[in-house]
Amino acid sequence: MKLLIVEDQAKTGQYLRQGLTEAGFNTELVADGNSGQQLALSGDYALLILDVMLPGRSGWQILQAVRSAGLDTPVLFLTAKDAVEDRVHGLEIGADDYLVKPFAFSELLARVRSLLRRGSATTQETSLQLADLRLDLIRRRVERSGQRIDLTAKEFALLEMLLRRQGEVLPKSLIASQVWDMNFDSDTNVIEVAIRRLRLKIDDEFPNKLIHTVRGMGYVLEERGA
Amino acid sequence: MRRLSLSSRLALLFAACTAVVSLFAGVLFNRASEAHFIELDQQQLDGKLIGLRHALQDLQPVQREARLADELSRQADLSLRITGTDGQRWYDSSTQTPKDLPQQSGLSTISHDGTDYRVLNAPLYPDEADSPQLTLLLDITHHQHFLQRMQHLIWLTVGLSALATALLGAWAAGSGLRPLRRMSAVARGISAQSLNARLPEAQMPPELAEMAHSFNAMLARLDDSFQRLSAFSADIAHELRTPLSNLLTHTQVTLTRPRPIEDYREALHSNLEELQWMAQLVNDMLYLAKADHGLLMPKREPLELADETDVLLEFFAPLAEDAGVRLSREGHARIEGDRSMLRRALSNLLDNALRFTPAEGYVSLRIVDQASAVRISVENSGEGISAQLLPRLFDRFYRADPARQEGSSEHAGLGLAITQSIIRAHGGQIHCESEAGWTRFVIELPRT
Repeated sequence: MKLLIVEDQAKTGQYLRQGLTEAGFNTELVADGNSGQQLALSGDYALLILDVMLPGRSGWQILQAVRSAGLDTPVLFLTAKDAVEDRVHGLEIGADDYLVKPFAFSELLARVRSLLRRGSATTQETSLQLADLRLDLIRRRVERSGQRIDLTAKEFALLEMLLRRQGEVLPKSLIASQVWDMNFDSDTNVIEVAIRRLRLKIDDEFPNKLIHTVRGMGYVLEERGA
Repeated sequence: MRRLSLSSRLALLFAACTAVVSLFAGVLFNRASEAHFIELDQQQLDGKLIGLRHALQDLQPVQREARLADELSRQADLSLRITGTDGQRWYDSSTQTPKDLPQQSGLSTISHDGTDYRVLNAPLYPDEADSPQLTLLLDITHHQHFLQRMQHLIWLTVGLSALATALLGAWAAGSGLRPLRRMSAVARGISAQSLNARLPEAQMPPELAEMAHSFNAMLARLDDSFQRLSAFSADIAHELRTPLSNLLTHTQVTLTRPRPIEDYREALHSNLEELQWMAQLVNDMLYLAKADHGLLMPKREPLELADETDVLLEFFAPLAEDAGVRLSREGHARIEGDRSMLRRALSNLLDNALRFTPAEGYVSLRIVDQASAVRISVENSGEGISAQLLPRLFDRFYRADPARQEGSSEHAGLGLAITQSIIRAHGGQIHCESEAGWTRFVIELPRT
């Protein structure tokens, strides 16, 4: 899975490449619009991460060239501008997602994964599982070690998201947006409380904890050695 | 074209008024003098006429000439002419008098060779139908001279008084307009550093007091906005200073000597928290800056407020349950607005309310559908906010709780300011009311 980053700010580009490479992606970085467009048009990439303001050729222009070449490679824009017209403009010409600087890397990573997953056909799972935790999507039931656990609708949705993206660090903002449809930066600690309450039901009585807090980044559901 | 100054205009107007008035008075006086002279002449001539008739009646024709000469010699400016019934001139006392004289009876005035005469025609025998005519001529040159001098005097008066009032008027207008100049001096002296200058309204004349009042009110508004703006900049610097200094100190201290890997991890985590807080602050400030520049343009989607708020209550439910606070909603209304902006606005209010509600308390959201507006109120129990703090609640970086430590990963104090910006972008208003035991934020959104 190859990703292309076109970002002219050297530090930003390097850190992004390092982060994405360490997250398991094969990542390439170029710093100007023209070579960015050349590479993007080769069609070798699963995802393009474009800065808007670039030397030579803007991110918009690269996107337009890619789309008019008939490629539907997902495109994620990084922009320092937050003007509404920018968003509208980008979406009109076929951008898939946006991140406004300053953003958290965990947020970027989660969105990159969402975009990459979007393409692949979702199998119609009937249940999700991790270790002895099992979530039945049809009967909307949760069991751990054969013990039935009662969850509210939102707790169920939250656990479903964690299970579907197990092993991924999910930032609070992404959880708020996916589970509660709250699409704004909020400094509320609702998510912390919701996770704590979910833990109380899922993890507290079991020695093998599954929900983990990644400090400063978010939450992850995974099996860790005792 | 150069426009005349107010003082010059007023001076010219004063001068014109004075000229007209004095000219009118002069003409009137001139007329009156002339009428008076005519009356005097008439009396004099009438008296003479009677004397002459008398003299001519009593005397024998031989004596008449001598008597007439005698009669006329007493008054040098008087001459007499007697014309017979056949038009023959019987007698003429002077050769210099004009030959042709007006024939009508009564008094008239003629001018001949630079000399003015008053002429009186009368029959010698008033009782007879056919009588010789007596014509008396009175030289009135001295009267006319007097009148001419009067006229000159009048013109001179008109001119001088106009000039004098122009000068006096200019001075009076100048001093009358002094408050205006003071106003302009104050305006000239105003800059960002001296927005606290004010005009003395009480000392202003009533015509200018209102203007001075408006002027002062404008200054007050500017001053207030400017104060807020500069306080905002100062606050930004202040808010960023603490996390920045934490980052600097912590990073430098960590790097001073080799440490176990765990310490580095801890340092980075700590830095991350500061950085996230700063990123949130910057994003919030950008949002507010956008709102200030009128770039916050809400979409107009039809929204069912009850549904929207229920989604929010569901979001906050874990927090409320955790805190032991009752969370409720009543009422409903339809409105057009931007879903995500309004969610953000209301979520700030709910978050805020939950933070200040003690256990066993309540947070209730009420929607009231009014004729012209929709009212959404978020009320919570708990200690009220004192009245003098209420207007400051929406100020940026304002925190009702001064005990809150700055730079902590808590709230930057921009939430209510953002809520206010969103509501205003929707054309609405928000205010806060509070009594002992409850606090209520009230949003009024216009119906589109």
